Amino acid sequence: MTTTADIEDMIARVGLGDRKAFSALYDATSAKLFGVCLRILNNRAEAEDALQDAFVRIWQKADSYGANGYSPMTWLITLTRNLAIDKVRARKAPTGNIEEMPDIGDSGPTPEAAAVAASERRRIDVCLEELDDGKAGAVRGAYLEGDTYQELADRYDVPLNTMRTWLRRSLQKLKDCLTR
Amino acid sequence: MTTAEETNGDDIALAGEYALHLLAPAERLAFERRLSRETGLRDVLRDFEEGFVTLADEIAPERPPRRLKRQLEARLFADPEKTGGLWLWSALAFVSGAVAALILAAILFVAVPVTNLTPPGASYQAELVAEDRSLVVRARYEPQDGRLSITRLAGTAAPGRVFELWLIAEGADAPVSLGVLPQNPIAAIDVSAEIVAALEAGTLAISDEPPGGSPTGAPTGTVLAVGAVITL
Repeated sequence: MTTTADIEDMIARVGLGDRKAFSALYDATSAKLFGVCLRILNNRAEAEDALQDAFVRIWQKADSYGANGYSPMTWLITLTRNLAIDKVRARKAPTGNIEEMPDIGDSGPTPEAAAVAASERRRIDVCLEELDDGKAGAVRGAYLEGDTYQELADRYDVPLNTMRTWLRRSLQKLKDCLTR
Repeated sequence: MTTAEETNGDDIALAGEYALHLLAPAERLAFERRLSRETGLRDVLRDFEEGFVTLADEIAPERPPRRLKRQLEARLFADPEKTGGLWLWSALAFVSGAVAALILAAILFVAVPVTNLTPPGASYQAELVAEDRSLVVRARYEPQDGRLSITRLAGTAAPGRVFELWLIAEGADAPVSLGVLPQNPIAAIDVSAEIVAALEAGTLAISDEPPGGSPTGAPTGTVLAVGAVITL
């Protein structure tokens, strides 16, 4: 079982140009990161590209990890997610129709996933529940599907500015709750 | 952490929008520039990212195909056993500069085909995309041609305005102009060795400028599209 400390150690060694550590880090984390790419891109070929790009970035930027106090999986997932979202935005036409996407609000965690960082998990759930109707879904849609303000506004059938005002207010509440 | 408490509500919302990747390219860049200076803002962002990342708990891991790791390592480390050209370069690295140049010159005359010699240096690519996809530009650098090839896939400059291309090197505060994009959707831009060195992990951006480009040396118009530079 790979622990957080193991992954942290691998990233540190990758930052020194250690290829063996890079290989070990890939083996330990690529399945999770590939899952993230697949979730956002919803297309295998693009997800494979995104995963490769993410690991190239990880190789290049590992020496700067640690400066901002991120936990290792947060750093890896955030970096991967951002690259996958850049790819989604680069598509000329999105392949997935928003209406056809499963209702993300309903997809609960698998038992295995729920066991991971259970206390953190509860905190984000509790905080999202404190938001007004629908706002939690918008936050989740933006994070897990890479929705833009325009896509969120279309989904909730409100003007873009209204969506932005809603979400900005929700984000302030969420931050309060997360660090309470 | 005390600085985080001083962060005002607008900035907190902004950090959340940044974490969700909801900001327009120009706002995103402006926020990143502030991040490099403001510890309080970095703390707020980290709190958001650490909170949001737990949403990814519900994403089931999926093992990528085996070939992907081989491709990745070939891309990053260019396996010397497999390519004669690269083997040659690493062998040359052991020989001092002048001798190496002589040997290289000899090889260039003798070895056939010469195309087997892969020049050292990485290839880079970036896709610069506007939030609403109204502007999509692909930039690609290949060491053998030493120029940045630009392919504009979508978007044209406003009447009487031009697109100017910028490079923001990793950790750099100010963008450096790479020049005005010509009207032709396919173009090549000459880049110096310093620029090439700064491409790695950098960001390319396109701004809207008056004819001839920014008069100040910094973007004066809206930043329309940005894209991270990827090493190929």
